[in-house]
Amino acid sequence: MERKQAEYSNLDERYAIQGEKYQGQQYSHIYFTRLHHMRNLLHALVPSWKPHLPVTTVLGLEEGKDCIIVGTLYKHMKLKPSILDEYSKERSAIPLVKPHNFMHPDDHLILEDESGRVTLAGAIPPAAYVTGVVIALHGKETSAGNFLVEDILEAGIPPQITLPSINEDKYVVFVSGLSIGSEKFNPLQFQLLIDHITGHLGDENEQSIASNIVRVVVAGNSVHISPRFFNGQAVASKDQSRIAEPIKELDIMLTQLVASLPVDMMPGSNDPANFSLPQQPLHRCLFAGAATYNTFSSCSNPHQFELDSVRFIGTSGQNIDDLYKYSDAKDKLEFVERTLRWRHLAPTAPNSLGCYPYTDKDPFLVESCPHVYFVGNQDKYETQLLQGLEKQKVRLICIPRFCDSGVAVMLNLRNLECSTLSFSTSFDA
Amino acid sequence: MSSGGRGGKRRGAPPPGPSGAAAKRAHPGGTPQPPPPAATAAAPVAEEEDMMDEDVFLDETILAEDEEALLLLDRDEALASRLSRWRRPALPADLASGCSRNVAFQQLEIDYVIGESHKVLLPNSSGPAAILRIFGVTREGHSVCCQVHGFEPYFYISCPMGMGPDDISRFHQTLEGRMKDSNRNSNVPRFVKRIELVQKQTIMHYQPQQSQPFLKIVVALPTMVASCRGILERGITIEGLGSKSFLTYESNILFALRFMIDCNIVGGNWIEVPAGKYMKAARIMSYCQLELDCLYSDLVSHAAEGEHSKMAPFRILSFDIECAGRKGHFPEPTHDPVIQIANLVTLQGEGQPFVRNVMTLKSCSPIVGVDVMSFDTERDVLLAWRDFIREVDPDIIIGYNICKFDLPYLIERAEVLKIVEFPILGRIRNSRVRVRDTTFSSRQYGMRESKDVAVEGRVQFDLLQAMQRDYKLSSYSLNSVSAHFLGEQKEDVHHSIISDLQNGNSETRRRLAVYCLKDAYLPQRLLDKLMYIYNYVEMARVTGVPISFLLSRGQSIKVLSQLLRKAKQKNLVIPNIKGQASGQDTFEGATVLEARAGFYEKPIATLDFASLYPSIMMAYNLCYCTLVPPEDARKLNLPPESVNKTPSGETFVKPDVQKGILPEILEELLAARKRAKADLKEAKDPFERAVLDGRQLALKISANSVYGFTGATVGQLPCLEISSSVTSYGRQMIEHTKKLVEDKFTTLGGYEHNAEVIYGDTDSVMVQFGVSTVEDAMKLGREAADYISGTFIKPIKLEFEKIYFPYLLISKKRYAGLYWTNPEKFDKMDTKGIETVRRDNCLLVKNLVTECLHKILVDRDVPGAVQYVKNTISDLLMNRVDLSLLVITKGLTKTGEDYAVKAAHVELAERMRKRDAATAPTVGDRVPYVIIKAAKGAKAYERSEDPIYVLDNNIPIDPQYYLENQISKPLLRIFEPILKNASRELLHGSHTRAVSISTPSNSGIMKFAKKQLTCLGCKAVISGSNQTLCFHCKGREAELYCKTVGNVSELEMLFGRLWTQCQECQGSLHQDVLCTSRDCPIFYRRRKAQKDMAEARVQLQRWDF
Repeated sequence: MERKQAEYSNLDERYAIQGEKYQGQQYSHIYFTRLHHMRNLLHALVPSWKPHLPVTTVLGLEEGKDCIIVGTLYKHMKLKPSILDEYSKERSAIPLVKPHNFMHPDDHLILEDESGRVTLAGAIPPAAYVTGVVIALHGKETSAGNFLVEDILEAGIPPQITLPSINEDKYVVFVSGLSIGSEKFNPLQFQLLIDHITGHLGDENEQSIASNIVRVVVAGNSVHISPRFFNGQAVASKDQSRIAEPIKELDIMLTQLVASLPVDMMPGSNDPANFSLPQQPLHRCLFAGAATYNTFSSCSNPHQFELDSVRFIGTSGQNIDDLYKYSDAKDKLEFVERTLRWRHLAPTAPNSLGCYPYTDKDPFLVESCPHVYFVGNQDKYETQLLQGLEKQKVRLICIPRFCDSGVAVMLNLRNLECSTLSFSTSFDA
Repeated sequence: MSSGGRGGKRRGAPPPGPSGAAAKRAHPGGTPQPPPPAATAAAPVAEEEDMMDEDVFLDETILAEDEEALLLLDRDEALASRLSRWRRPALPADLASGCSRNVAFQQLEIDYVIGESHKVLLPNSSGPAAILRIFGVTREGHSVCCQVHGFEPYFYISCPMGMGPDDISRFHQTLEGRMKDSNRNSNVPRFVKRIELVQKQTIMHYQPQQSQPFLKIVVALPTMVASCRGILERGITIEGLGSKSFLTYESNILFALRFMIDCNIVGGNWIEVPAGKYMKAARIMSYCQLELDCLYSDLVSHAAEGEHSKMAPFRILSFDIECAGRKGHFPEPTHDPVIQIANLVTLQGEGQPFVRNVMTLKSCSPIVGVDVMSFDTERDVLLAWRDFIREVDPDIIIGYNICKFDLPYLIERAEVLKIVEFPILGRIRNSRVRVRDTTFSSRQYGMRESKDVAVEGRVQFDLLQAMQRDYKLSSYSLNSVSAHFLGEQKEDVHHSIISDLQNGNSETRRRLAVYCLKDAYLPQRLLDKLMYIYNYVEMARVTGVPISFLLSRGQSIKVLSQLLRKAKQKNLVIPNIKGQASGQDTFEGATVLEARAGFYEKPIATLDFASLYPSIMMAYNLCYCTLVPPEDARKLNLPPESVNKTPSGETFVKPDVQKGILPEILEELLAARKRAKADLKEAKDPFERAVLDGRQLALKISANSVYGFTGATVGQLPCLEISSSVTSYGRQMIEHTKKLVEDKFTTLGGYEHNAEVIYGDTDSVMVQFGVSTVEDAMKLGREAADYISGTFIKPIKLEFEKIYFPYLLISKKRYAGLYWTNPEKFDKMDTKGIETVRRDNCLLVKNLVTECLHKILVDRDVPGAVQYVKNTISDLLMNRVDLSLLVITKGLTKTGEDYAVKAAHVELAERMRKRDAATAPTVGDRVPYVIIKAAKGAKAYERSEDPIYVLDNNIPIDPQYYLENQISKPLLRIFEPILKNASRELLHGSHTRAVSISTPSNSGIMKFAKKQLTCLGCKAVISGSNQTLCFHCKGREAELYCKTVGNVSELEMLFGRLWTQCQECQGSLHQDVLCTSRDCPIFYRRRKAQKDMAEARVQLQRWDF
């Protein structure tokens, strides 16, 4: 049997920060660029939304007069952790907040543009929005100086290139959260996955399916390195070599994979990569074995690529995890969908999500709608085929952590249908 | 305060300002005065409070009416209508036109002027008289100025034996003659109006007879009290009686206070003028909505109860100004223009300001919710502000450092610009405000130089002064004060940037305006948060002094005011005894039992005397009027059962013979406090609660200050017999308690353990009962308190309040422990005398001490604390400590030459000025510095360096300095009771052997060094420019890369958190952070993160080959 091929092009260029330097620049530029870009989009949409209303700036507001304003949201949050807390006088024995979510009923939204800020009230639920989102609002200024929102316009799902028609089944496998080196990692489980993908497992039918897998995407957190190695204290020399142990193990397993098919390796929050988004590709020197194959490609996070002209975009999950901390939704997919509607992969960057201080661009803006949008390292597998107003179709996928669930996700390029590959090493399961 | 000396100086000098009519605040009629009484002139600062009358305003300062009209010409119509929106509500028709209803208002300020006596109200008098003015606000928010007529200044002398009515009239004539001699240029027809014979008694010493004759001398004008007193004290020859000098009584009381006492008015209470008893002013003198004239006897003063305990809707103006300073100089009014004034006006009791505006020089882009008013000239800005004050008519003006900076600056600036019509900011028409320098000195608050700007009819409340009075903080910058109380960092724009922003465009000026507004809002928020209005009004009500006294004067006026009120009820008069400033009459202070230092791991019960000193005074009836001096004791021959002999050997009569006034005042204060606390429990309304809580606090402070009043040797009425008796009783009680506890709670007495008193302070005793649970210790503590209280005279009471467990006793007045009031859970960690907040300590010390105490007391983990100390010291020596933790900050109060001893921060400021004069700290700034490594033998002051400079140039800090001069003492203090050999263990262990010092990038030697790449793994020099690792380390590539990238990752996280925090404080996402607040704990970290980040990325890029 022969493995199918798909034409691959890597679109990560926009996430590279190779030439960028820290020269004292601040975060205001990235907000400015974002606002500028999004405002053009939103202004273009206003005539078809509420053509009769004037568009103004925060400054131009007049009390009681209906108008539309466009700006960046800022969410004032009481419980938001602050670095200044380290200096607070009293230390409390018990943490006051559940660590996973910083919402509070007193939270409120503020809209900001270059001219000023105004507090929002009315038909805009603070729970659904976060700092950094650019939107247009219809409403009027009240006598108290607040802006009473009546209606909200988001930029919406961006336009999409047409989905190419592919006549045969071709699969892409997504896996994330291997956490090699942690206690939860089960080497046998991962080996089963590798064997399945490489066609060493199962009957002929299964093997033929495996041969249709054209690519594997590893969406972050492949290793787990004990944080004690990085807290500044000296590390005993016998421990030093242990730092790299999980990476070597990963390399060995990856080498098996890349020997038979192309693999995209994305960094995640626990991987030996930089912290801020966009995370730069894991260094090739970490993969002494796998890197010798040209099927191995180390990618950035977020990661963007095309396979047979099907457009993919995905992250290792930090953007969605952060939304989960600072806002509320029925499930993770809703967060994913929101980032598309806001046309921004990581609106909370740089506010609560680390991010490089760009001066002239905001690489997380989503200008064209992908066909597949995946997010790694989530609690459970969720998927949905999202339909846009302009007939855009996007497959949204939350990839569960493999070390917890033993689940990898398989996507069919032909019809964007999704299924799971589930591996278990215990008999009762 | 000494007006005597000052007044004299000013009088000779021409009034400043171009106009001869510039406000001149002096004595009546502008007439040359006799030299002020010798006592006050000779000792200008010695008295805590000089009782000279100062609240006199001259007719002369008032401009002619046509002048006024001229000033108001060509004012901008548009501006006028803009400002008029904020006027006070209009008067109801019946008040506006007639006099048919009672007028009730809450008064805030009382002063007086000299004017012609009122023809209608006082048909029988003529000539100049003192007219009292009461400023206040009605319940509906209307401003009132009530002019009170007919109240005359007076004082007493004791009547010489055998003086009859004829003698009195002769005496009158003689005195009148002497007065005329010393007040030659005065146009007053009669100086001494009359002399009455009254029956009074002096407060000093026990007197068996109820009363004796006194002469009440009534003079024409308040200032004549002092000159008349001088004549009488120096001696006067009376026909038939010979030459005699007199002791005067109640001759040093401010006229306004005298009036308040006699009319039963207390500070901030409600006053009602009944319908028909007042008339509308014929000639309107003030900008108040309602101006009345009435007789002092017709005023109704309401006690602060029920409806009358509420607050009127005062208008509180909070403002801040910005000046464009020149580079390298602190703004000076002679050179630097005022460019912005931000104003917020809030109604008392409301959460949000109802006026928010900013006045700017040159255009300024609009700001949401703020009225931006831009002007082309500075003159227009200043005049607009004056008009604004007049329209809004604030009752209280607040701000941060307004008394020393903002207000004087505005006025002096207007003088420089020759805007004569600017300083009419008070409530009196055309009366100009002027700046005077004053010094204020008091035992409690220390000596303070300040400027005094009297704005008639408006109370000034400078939050900076209030903070300095009421709180001990390590820094009083607005930034650190708001961080402390509001939990917020304030953006701080360096004054060198302010000029750049001003010279930019309307956007940059808007940026500045936003900053200025924030600075104007913070004082208001502090005022609300700390309930200052409630607390100060209540304090004024309790002690009976005007609110303005509370900030501008010391403690003793408050006690004196109460004493005078009480004495008046009792028909007693208070002699004018000037305290001797000599320190000879000192007496033994409070006792402190020997502290048995140690770390106690059994519960320690604390027995406290509730209000010990007030209780002693009440229990033993200690007062001026119960004291029997030794010479009298023999004469009076009092039976021993009717007197108390105090341990210090004084004699006081018992209450059944004569009840003391001080005990009575104290009883009332404490009873009122009890009542207020009970009411507080009942009260639901938050405003009512605020008032009551303020009241109980004021009552407590007042009760405790009575003792201090009697002991203040330079005070108004010192009486060391009382204060030394109080402390001697206190000592006796502490010893007595110790003895009783140790005698009763013994194994012999049937208890499990022998109790041990381990320490005793002024009013508390710490007992170790030996039991091991908090609950048992509480039980025994209560038992002991009840048992011992039974042996004392009421109301002295020993209370059991709290348990310390565990308890670390370091030495006297220094301890730490967990504080328990219930057996389940401790309340807090309580420390005393352990420097966690001292100014000249760096943050590292504070963190270290706090963390150690936490580990020792809460976690009960002594080894953990030791390990923590070792790690921190090791970090310090290995140069891993965040630089901001090492910054020491000191204020630069004067220039280098003025300092006698060389100080680190002064030297540094000098050096920085040589580097760059524009950003170097100037006088008034705080100078942050770190101690760096320098040549051997260099003095500490030579080794100070700017933290920014240190960061930029990789200069090594001196860890030994920090180890020896900063952290060792506080640490050893804590650990010595716990560890043997603490010093050796903590400061000289193996953890101190590894040292790492960074190489400075600007030192001389580096200019000769050649840079070579080294292997990132082992620091071996590698040849070839594009390699990262040496041959040997090649195999560890993955591991070493992980470490490098891990480092970058940490820095990125820090970088993001720090810079987004600054965006948050700044309140804007789209604008660059400008803040350079060196008080902010993250300022240096932010800077360092930026620099480290750039370096770490360079390292990371070395892997990209």
